[in-house]
Formats: sequence, structure tokens, C-alpha cells
Amino acid sequence: MSSEENTLNMPAAKQGRVVTPGQATLGRALLGQYNVINALILRETRTRFGKHQLGYAWAILEPASIILTFVIMFAVAKRGRAGDMDTFGFLATGIVPYLLFTKTTTQVSQAINGNKGLLFYPQVKPLDVVLARIALEFCTYAAVFLFLMAVNVLFRQELVVSDPLLVVVGFSLASLLGAGLGLVFMGLGQLSNVTERTRGPLMRPFFWVSGLFFTAHSLPDHYRDLVLYNPVIHTVELVRAGWYSTQSNQYTDIPYVILWILGLGFVGLTLETITRRKIEVT
Amino acid sequence: MIELRNITKAYQTPFGPNVVLDDISVTLPTGESIGILGNNGAGKSTLLRVIGGAEMPDLGTIRTDGQVSWPIGFGGGFSGSLTGEDNCRFVARIYGQDVDRVTDETRAFADIGRYFYMPIRTYSSGMRARLAFGLSMAIDFSVYLVDEVTAVGDANFKKKCKDAFADRSERSSIVMVSHSPDTIKQYCTRCAVLFRGKLTLFDTVEQAYEKYEAYQAGEAA
Repeated sequence: MSSEENTLNMPAAKQGRVVTPGQATLGRALLGQYNVINALILRETRTRFGKHQLGYAWAILEPASIILTFVIMFAVAKRGRAGDMDTFGFLATGIVPYLLFTKTTTQVSQAINGNKGLLFYPQVKPLDVVLARIALEFCTYAAVFLFLMAVNVLFRQELVVSDPLLVVVGFSLASLLGAGLGLVFMGLGQLSNVTERTRGPLMRPFFWVSGLFFTAHSLPDHYRDLVLYNPVIHTVELVRAGWYSTQSNQYTDIPYVILWILGLGFVGLTLETITRRKIEVT
Repeated sequence: MIELRNITKAYQTPFGPNVVLDDISVTLPTGESIGILGNNGAGKSTLLRVIGGAEMPDLGTIRTDGQVSWPIGFGGGFSGSLTGEDNCRFVARIYGQDVDRVTDETRAFADIGRYFYMPIRTYSSGMRARLAFGLSMAIDFSVYLVDEVTAVGDANFKKKCKDAFADRSERSSIVMVSHSPDTIKQYCTRCAVLFRGKLTLFDTVEQAYEKYEAYQAGEAA
């Protein structure tokens, strides 16, 4: 029924050695998988940021410029500080997890269509591209966050990170939510090409309801209850609670976010399995 | 040996499903080199992609012993925005090969000068074919799937391809698709014909060619 035998053509572990399917072992399979994902990450880094060092700088400057725009807007509008957070830190802790979520969604949803040429090689499967892209986005935005907060610390002359683990949890959940939603879009994209056009408008509301410009605590009760259905705001609140000791995470619900991730992941992987045979590589 | 069992593949078109491979069950012996003849649009490239594992058949299984190459042609497999060198490094990595050795050998074989360090999208189709062919030669496959790659390129390049295959005829063989019996005769000792989704293997290229002619006459009538 399946052509799994095809995938057993493992990369030869040593040069010049030909590996026959009969010799395939779990160790060799894992080595092959590692080789593929490693190669994909290096390749994506090259295509995304270009050959020049400035490319990596751009990866950091782009979100930094978004945040600066809003810092200026907040200053012009003379909006007060949110709680006890400084404006820059407040915006950065909101915008960076949000960008991690949306960019992971975009990158994962385009994993097949943006990489048809690579699927030519039998050992490269769509899910390898997905894993490579998740890893690359996570590393990029982790670096962006550390850079921005380092700048912030220099200006504020104080460094107190209340609970680093919560920051890591917040970022991980934002990444996984993006991955789950991206997988769903990727699968739907194989069924209908309307998907790609509707993704942008569907994602836009997250910009307004994910706590980039407010905290859950600052909302009236009935609005807060409504907004908290959005799993993304939980990740933002977790990052803020982890960074600032004055922010409590009383409204965050980690199991709720994990349920979303599992649900999206289940639907996304099911769609991937259904549409796997439809992929045309040229 | 490449064993195809009940291989079926159809593409959706606005005019209904187009069955390109129709329940093919054939065992291709890989001790010798095999040509596959077929008209344009007969499904030759699809067959190679399915054998190479780039696309999955709708139905059926494929069993291969030894490592089979990706379908070597002047089409897919390279990303246009990256240089020839970067594409080589990527392929060397996914096959678990020594990156520098593969890059050096490919550069030497492809012989495209400074284009090796320029984005693939600036290449002519001949240069793409040279790179693809050189790269596949730098990785030791036991079966090479060749998609008309030798049809492009000048006489010099064609001779290079033939010599390279002759050199490794002991350990590697070819499965080549083409619509040209002359090309297949140069490389292959046996031949199959792909016609209306069915693949038939013949003992000699001549027999296959006769059948191919007969099919074409039938189409025209």
C-alpha cells in the first residue's frame, strides 16, 4: 500500500559506501534525518539572509524597527506606561512573541510550496522542511529578543529577570502554536489555493487581540474573558510575567494553550498525511 | 533491481483525472542499463520521479536495492537563488557526503568556470545539466536515473557523460528516459516502452523501437 521502501534509501554514512535498504537501522535513520535538517537550516539561512553579514543584521533590525515605531507612537500619544513596565520593554515582550508566532505560521504554511525543488531528493520530506523552519524562526526571534532586551537593559541600567523559565515557556508555546497553525494552513494549501490568499486576512486580528498593546489585567472583566480565548495572548503574558516581577501570570493557562497546540497539530498532521500523495515536485 | 508493483499515478485536470501510470508491475534489472522510450507527455518524467522517490504513487510499492539517484535532468532539484556551489553543498550534506570533496569534483566535471559561484537562475539549461550531472557523479549511486540530461550540451559534454558512465559501468547502471531511440541506443542495452500508462520491457533496444514505432503509427491513424 505504501511506498515507504522508497524512503529507506538512506544517505551513505561514509563517502563512497552504498547503503542498501536491508542495512537501514534506527541509528542510521536518525543520522540521515539529522543530516537533512541540518542541511536545510544552513540552506534556509543562506536564502533568507543572503550571503552577506548584513543579512543577519536585517533579521534583528526589522522587528527592532517595528518596535521603535510603536515606542515613538506611544510617546507622541503620551500614553502612560503599562503597569510598572517601561514602554520599550512592554512593547518588545509583546511584539517579539507575536512575531515568532506569525512568522512561524507563515514559514510552516509555505514549507511545501516554497521548497518544491528540494522535495526532488527522496530523503527530504515536507516535515523535515517544517522542522527546519520552526528551528530557524525560534533561533532568530530568540536572538532578536535577547538583543532588544540587552539594549533595553543598557538604557534602564538594571537587569532583573523575574523567572527566565517562564520566558522560555512563553516563547516555546508561541513557536508551537505557530507551527500547529502553519501545518493546518500547509495541508489546506494542498487542497485549495484559496488558502494562501485568505491566510493574511485571517491572521491580522491576532495583532490586535494578542496583548501587544495591553495587558490582560488592564482590561474590563468581560473583555478579558473574551480575549483570553485567544491562546496567543497567554504566550505574551507568560513572557512578560517571566521578565518583569511586577507582572503576575494569574490569567495565563498553560494547559489551555497546550490543548490548542495538540488540536492544531493533530489536524495539521492529518491533513499532511491525506495530501502527501498529491504533491507535485515540478 | 528496481521492482515496481501496481504503480498507479493520476493527476487531476479540469477535464477529469489523467492516469499517467496505470497499474505498472515490472521488475527492472539494474545489472544492465535500461532505456525507457515514450512520447512527450507519456509520463516518462513522472515515472522517474516516482522511482526516485520524489513523488509518491497513488497506489503501489517500489523496492530497490542499492542507492538510487534523484532524477537527473535540467529541471528540478536546484534552487535558483543559490549559487551552484551552495546547491552542491546542500546535496552533499543530505547524502551525508564530504562537502568539500563533492564540491571540488562537481566543479571539475561541470567545467562552467565562474558560473559555479553564481546563482543558478543565471545558468543556461546546458549549464544546469552540466552541474546536475557532475554533482550526481560526485556521489556514488548504484543506479542513475537520467531524464534526457544528455540531450542538451555540446559534443564535448556528451562524450564526457558517456566516458563517466563507461568508467563506472562495473558498479553503477542507468535508467534513462527519452523520446529518442538514438540517445537510448548510445547508453542502454535493454529498453522499455511507456505507452498509455503501461510499461513494457523488451530484451533489445531494436524490439522496443519497433513496438514504439507501431504505437506511434497507431496514434497517428
